[in-house]
Amino acid sequence: MKPEFELFDRRKFFGVVTKAAALFSLAGGTKAGAQDKGTANPFAYDISRFQKTDPKLIAYEEVARWPVPHKDARRLAIGPDNQLYVCAGNYINSLSRAGQRGLELALTGPACCVAVARDGTIFAGQRDHIEVFNPKGARLARWAAPDPKTWLTGLAADDKDVFAADAGKLVVLRYDRAGKITGRIGTKDAERNVPGFIVPSPFLDVIICRDGLLRVNNPGRHRIEAYTLDGDFEGAWGKPSAAIEGFCGCCNPIAVTALADGRMVTCEKGIPRVKIYSVTGEFESVVAGAESFPENAHACNDLNDCVHGGIDAAVDSDGRIYILDIVASDVRVMKRKG
Amino acid sequence: MMEPKPANPLTRRQLFRGAARMMTMTGLGVAVGALATRGAKGASVWQIDPARCLHCGNCATHCVLEQSAVKCVHAYAVCGYCQLCTGFFAPEPNELTTAAENQLCPTAAIKRTYVEDPYYQYSIDEQLCIGCAKCVEGCNRFGNGSLFLQIRHDRCLNCNECAIARACPGDAFRRVPVEHPYLLKTTSR
Repeated sequence: MKPEFELFDRRKFFGVVTKAAALFSLAGGTKAGAQDKGTANPFAYDISRFQKTDPKLIAYEEVARWPVPHKDARRLAIGPDNQLYVCAGNYINSLSRAGQRGLELALTGPACCVAVARDGTIFAGQRDHIEVFNPKGARLARWAAPDPKTWLTGLAADDKDVFAADAGKLVVLRYDRAGKITGRIGTKDAERNVPGFIVPSPFLDVIICRDGLLRVNNPGRHRIEAYTLDGDFEGAWGKPSAAIEGFCGCCNPIAVTALADGRMVTCEKGIPRVKIYSVTGEFESVVAGAESFPENAHACNDLNDCVHGGIDAAVDSDGRIYILDIVASDVRVMKRKG
Repeated sequence: MMEPKPANPLTRRQLFRGAARMMTMTGLGVAVGALATRGAKGASVWQIDPARCLHCGNCATHCVLEQSAVKCVHAYAVCGYCQLCTGFFAPEPNELTTAAENQLCPTAAIKRTYVEDPYYQYSIDEQLCIGCAKCVEGCNRFGNGSLFLQIRHDRCLNCNECAIARACPGDAFRRVPVEHPYLLKTTSR
C-alpha cells in the first residue's frame, strides 16, 4: 500500500529549507533596500507651502526675458536714460529697453555692483575698489580700497555723492565725486542709536530714495533701514518669517530698490521672491514668487553655497521692474498687470 | 556487497557537540580579530561625507542601535551665530524664542544661548540628538551649512555592512582611516 504522505529524508528536508530561506532573504532584502531609499522622510524640513505663491498676490506679469551677456551675473542698475547696466563676470554691459546690447566695460576682476549717476557717469564696484567711467566707457578714476576686508556689494550715486555698501566691513561708505570718503554710515553706535548691520553672506545694498533718505537692507535683522545722508538712523521695518509678508531664512532681504512713489521692492534668496512693500513696510504684493525662479530655488537645495543663488531688481521710469536671476543668468522684464 | 563500517562511528550527539565547539571557537576568533584590527594601522571605520549628505532622515531610522550613532555636530567657525537660525527655528516661528512650538528639532537637542545683540550660539546636546538631520537641512538651505552629521565612534558598532550606509541615497557613507575618523567641515559648504 502506498503511504498517504511521502516523508522527506533529512538531507532533502534541509536542502529545501535552505533554498527557501535563501530565496526569501534575497527577495525581502532587495525589496527592503528599494524601500529604504525611497521612503518619505518623517523628519522632512517642509517649506513647500512657501514655494507656491497665492496668484491673487501676484501683481506683475513677465513681458520679456533676455539672457545675460556674460557668465556669473551679480547685480544690475538702471541709468538715467532707462538703459539697464548688468554686472556679469569681469564685465558691465548696458542693455536697451528692448534688450539690445550697448556699451561693454571690461574690468580687471569680477564686477560686484554698479550705479549710474544722472550725468551718465558709471561707477563700477569690484570687491575692493570702485572704478569710474564716463558715459562713453572711458576710465576716469580708480578709488582704492579703504580696508583689506572691504567687500563692496552695492552702489548708489547722486549728483554729489556715491554710497558704497561694504559687506565685509558692515558699513556704507559715503564718497564725494572726487573719490574721497566723507562719511561712514551704519556702523554700530549705541550713542547714535545705530543698531549695526548683520551680514552673514555678502549681500548689502544701498539706494538713495526720493524722500532724501538712504535705504539699506540689514539682512541679519531681516529688515530695511532708513538713514540720513549723514548717517542718522531714522527707522526700520521688516520681520523674519518664511511666510509671504516676511523675510525668510537667516539673512534677507538681499537687495532693495524703490518705485517712483516711494514703495519698496525687495529681493530674497533661499525662497527666491521679489515683493513690494509700502514706504512704511506693509506688505503689498508680489512681483515674482519662488515658482518663477526654479533654478535659483534649487541652488540652495543643492550642496552649493546659497551665496551663489540670489536675485536683484531695478526699476525704470515707467515702473517696469527688471529682475536679474543670478542662477538662470537672465533678466526678466515685469510689467504691472491690467 | 556491504559497505565497510568505521571502527568508531560518530554519534549524532558527538557531531552536534563538535559543531557547536567549532562555531564557538570561530566566533571568538572573529571577535578577537575584529578588536585587534580596529585600532591597528590600516583599519577603517564608517563616516559620513558632509558634502554628499542629503539630510534624508535615514540616519535616525536605519541604525541598528536604538538611538542612532549618527549625531549632528556644529562647525562653530562656519556658523553665522544668526538671530534667526534656520536650523533651530521652525520655518514660520511665532516669535524668536526658545518656546517648544518655535523649535525645529523634534527632541529639542539644540541649545540657544545669547552672546550679544543680535548674535546667538547654538550647541548640540548629543544625548538628545537622534541624527534626523532636520536642523542640517534648515541650516544648509538658508544658512552657512555649519550643522552637519557625523558618526560618533563612541557609539558606532562599526558593523561590517552598515545598515544606514545601505539605505543612504547620497552614498555619503564611506570607510575612513581609523587615525582620521571624522570628516569635519572647516569652511561653509
